[in-house]
Amino acid sequence: MSSILKLENLKVRFSTHRGQLEAVRGVDLDIQVGTSIGIVGESGSGKTVMSRAAMGLLTGSNVTREGRVTFDGKVLSEMSREDVRNEFGTGMAMIFQDPMTALNPVRRIGSQLQESLRVRLGMSRKEARARSIELLTLVRIPEPKHMLRKFPSQLSGGMRQRIMIAIAISCNPKLLFADEPTTALDVTVQAQILELLTDLRKRLNMTMVLVTHDLGVVAGNTDYVAVMYAGEIVEQAPTTELFANMKMPYTEALFKSIPNIQMKAGSRLPVIEGRLPDPTDRPPGCGFAARCSYAQDKCFTEHPELEVAKDGHLYRCWFPLGDSVPRKVS
Amino acid sequence: MTNHAHLRKDSDVLLRVEDLVVEFKVPGNKVVNAVSSVSFDVKEGETLAVVGESGCGKTTLGKALLQIQKPKSGNVRFEGNELTSLSKNDLRSARTSIQMIFQDPISSLDPRMTVRQIVEEPLWIWSKGDENERLEKVKTLLNNVGLDPELVLDRKSYEFSGGQCQRISIARSLALEPKMLICDEPVSALDVSIQAQILNLLNDMKDRYGLTLIFISHDLSVVKAISTRIMVMYLGKVCEIGTTESIYAKPAHHYTAALISSVPVPDPTHKVERTPITGEPPSPVDPPSGCRFRTRCPAATELCATEEPMLREVSDGQFVACHYPRA
Amino acid sequence: MRKLWSTFNLPTKISTVWVMIVLFFVVTGSFLPLPNPTEYDPDASGVGLFSPGHILGTDINGYDLLSNVVNGARISILIALISVGVGGLIGSAIGIGSAYIRGKLDIVVNLLFNILLSIPNLVLGLALVAILATSADPSIPIDPNRRVFIIIFSLTTIIIPILGRIARGATLSWVNREFIVAARSMGMKDRHIIFKHIVPNVLPAIYAVIFLAIGVVIVAEGALSLLGVGIIDGVSWGAMIGRVAGDFTYAPQSMYVPVVVLALTVIAFNQIGDHLRSQLDSREGKI
Ligand SMILES: Nc1ncnc2c1ncn2[C@@H]1O[C@H](COP(=O)(O)OP(=O)(O)OP(=O)(O)O)[C@@H](O)[C@H]1O
Ligand SMILES: Nc1ncnc2c1ncn2[C@@H]1O[C@H](COP(=O)(O)OP(=O)(O)O)[C@@H](O)[C@H]1O
Ligand code: SF4
Ligand code: SF4
Ligand SMILES: [Mg+2]
Ligand SMILES: [Mg+2]
Repeated sequence: MSSILKLENLKVRFSTHRGQLEAVRGVDLDIQVGTSIGIVGESGSGKTVMSRAAMGLLTGSNVTREGRVTFDGKVLSEMSREDVRNEFGTGMAMIFQDPMTALNPVRRIGSQLQESLRVRLGMSRKEARARSIELLTLVRIPEPKHMLRKFPSQLSGGMRQRIMIAIAISCNPKLLFADEPTTALDVTVQAQILELLTDLRKRLNMTMVLVTHDLGVVAGNTDYVAVMYAGEIVEQAPTTELFANMKMPYTEALFKSIPNIQMKAGSRLPVIEGRLPDPTDRPPGCGFAARCSYAQDKCFTEHPELEVAKDGHLYRCWFPLGDSVPRKVS
Repeated sequence: MTNHAHLRKDSDVLLRVEDLVVEFKVPGNKVVNAVSSVSFDVKEGETLAVVGESGCGKTTLGKALLQIQKPKSGNVRFEGNELTSLSKNDLRSARTSIQMIFQDPISSLDPRMTVRQIVEEPLWIWSKGDENERLEKVKTLLNNVGLDPELVLDRKSYEFSGGQCQRISIARSLALEPKMLICDEPVSALDVSIQAQILNLLNDMKDRYGLTLIFISHDLSVVKAISTRIMVMYLGKVCEIGTTESIYAKPAHHYTAALISSVPVPDPTHKVERTPITGEPPSPVDPPSGCRFRTRCPAATELCATEEPMLREVSDGQFVACHYPRA
Repeated sequence: MRKLWSTFNLPTKISTVWVMIVLFFVVTGSFLPLPNPTEYDPDASGVGLFSPGHILGTDINGYDLLSNVVNGARISILIALISVGVGGLIGSAIGIGSAYIRGKLDIVVNLLFNILLSIPNLVLGLALVAILATSADPSIPIDPNRRVFIIIFSLTTIIIPILGRIARGATLSWVNREFIVAARSMGMKDRHIIFKHIVPNVLPAIYAVIFLAIGVVIVAEGALSLLGVGIIDGVSWGAMIGRVAGDFTYAPQSMYVPVVVLALTVIAFNQIGDHLRSQLDSREGKI
């Protein structure tokens, strides 16, 4: 297998009126062709910033990006913005959380769908139309011809997300970034969209990065999972390995806090108390220490490095779960 | 044609809704059947979960209970008062004993007001206490919802995360010490890890303030922890209603079963025997004849198209509107 | 205040300073040691800039330009402030009220706004002045006070739909927010909802446009005067320009002094308005 996207020591800093804010703090990630990886973490953990930085989509005078991003053999972090832009569509594409704001409200679905086909692939009007009907069928929209004439506001959230997917895959990208593609949707529609994405990924042989806050969403739809916390990857493993053998107390807490349909009715849910540390003023030790029920003195003073266990399981914790090291539970 | 099999004795319930109909006129002389003849009741201290897909009329139902959205017909009886026929002024005071919290935590709070002003507002409207008493009350409320008054009182809502905004909303809704709280998807816009916190908080507040809850959601996994009864809605109609245990143990309606199997399970080895439910609900402007779910139902027959199924009891306290309920 | 100033960029700062200077002259104009604007200097007709005693020169008849510009500022700015103030108040009230109440009233109001906005400002102003300021007997001139009133009335009518539409749009975007529904569900009276929740949220949008509107009014008033239907014997900037238009070849300064002052003032108001607008947009984005 070869690598399609490789992040090496990726860092993103914003300068704000409250000082330097380090949103992504040295992320290493190597994504293999044809796999699907889930990036999981709570709101504010840096998932969106990391994926945008990887795609070179972060702009603004207050942003600094460090580190190396290699996509499909090309070093994106050293290319001009123009060259990076040329990778969009055919190389990589993105789907966003809010399908309403990502579509232009005053243009018909057809013209938005055909735009990149004509511009990027140089299709004629007729070819683009035929291809867009094909795409709409691919994302399972009934009566695709009818759909071309509609405006985004006439569609439900689920339909809009299907349109976004159709636009994203229109130029056969190798890598698809999906940033919380189902967070704004109902569970029933979420199930359909996830199934669709997984199916399309296999059929079109795409690599997929699925960003979400819900461990339930990654369970059935990814090969690998990376858990992010406070701008770092704190645990990473093949999906089945991760769920079978969680090493990081944070992952476990995240897992336990999911409202689970299999639990007893009326039972009290376990929660993660507290909140993410202030990103402008990170504590010296483990970022989770103040909220971790296994934390010991060392956790507050020394920052844990990413350790490698067997089966490609990475974790960032002084006292990983399932270890025989004795610890006091506070 | 009544659909009242599931209603309990009038004297036992806090809220009783009968044959409630809410319609919206839309351009082209058409009518959206948002809520079509819905009946249910809620006993004091119960938590009724109202579950269904987006657009099935849950929010409209909630607003119609409060008469923020005027129903076309039907009755809403709360503590013996018929809310649909109250005068504007009586309604204003009746509303104080039913409060609502909303899905979007950010847009539920006025961005130009401080947390103190927001939580104090209901007390101000009803001239409860003098300034000092009100401030004390605000502090107590904020404490109870898990916010430190000293840290939050003078900040504005947009400085807070979604979960914190939802806590502020809950504090505000409790200020007038209502009997009933209608929660419209209070956790749908939040991270899973925060959802649990808010659900626990609502349960605590329910005990502390002796509340009766109506909890609206599209996600059956979320309501399991909080509800005592569940009412499943589809396209403006009630499909199934029953105790929480019975609904999860043996969903009788095909739609309920589909909702249950749509919930993502955080276990990669779990193989979904997904009840096939595809597509989206049809338009409420022109709902299907007979059973409204028939266009997506795996068990639909001829009969489902011609005759509307009525709610009937399938097991103790579980009622379903289906010609061929699941065994 | 200092915080607001710190958000300004250089052009906005310059514009603010210019507006301050103009306002300073509006307030203190009549006390300053300037030549009498209505008395001509027979020894200095048509002298250029920086002539002794006449910093900005004089026109062909020997009237001092600086004192006339200062005097004109009083009339022009006062007319602008009054018509924008009154028009803004009425327009906002109509806009907010109709957007809050909705229904037929709102349809009618929106239609009226659209009709008024589709007529070019100047045409609308001219038409109103022509209808209101024509006396039955042409030999009896219209009372000058009444004339001023009519001009202000016409300019106010231009402003009402501009600000009314802004207020209506802003109200519509707030009125469906859930906090408004929440306020209603707590039993808040409509009057209180409007004044506590809607007005404070709509005001910033109106402030930003008010500056643009002042620019519009100054130009409109100037144009009306140029066309001879303004304040004829008055000395607003527009009237000054109109009066000397024929003398351009002999005393160009008499033309460009008021033109430059008028243009700078309009540009300054627009700049401040634009800046406030963009500030507002970026803040609204955060909310
Ligand atoms: N343009 C910006 N300027 C300053 N700080 C920013 C900016 N964008 C993001 N941040 C900060 O970076 C951190 C990470 O944000 P990010 O959006 O990546 O989180 P996320 O994990 O995607 O969360 P969510 O689940 O809410 O989408 C946060 O603390 C956020 O406030
Ligand atoms: N103001 C309105 N005008 C027209 N249709 C509306 C209005 N509000 C809601 N509807 C329609 O009524 C139906 C039920 O809506 P709603 O109660 O918001 O659903 P839910 O809360 O279950 O997602 C939907 O089809 C919706 O589009
Ligand atoms: S390093 Fe310590 S504080 Fe951090 S997760 Fe591990 S045990 Fe908890
Ligand atoms: S009545 Fe018929 S269509 Fe409706 S749920 Fe039952 S079987 Fe399905
Ligand atoms: Mg994000
Ligand atoms: Mg809703």
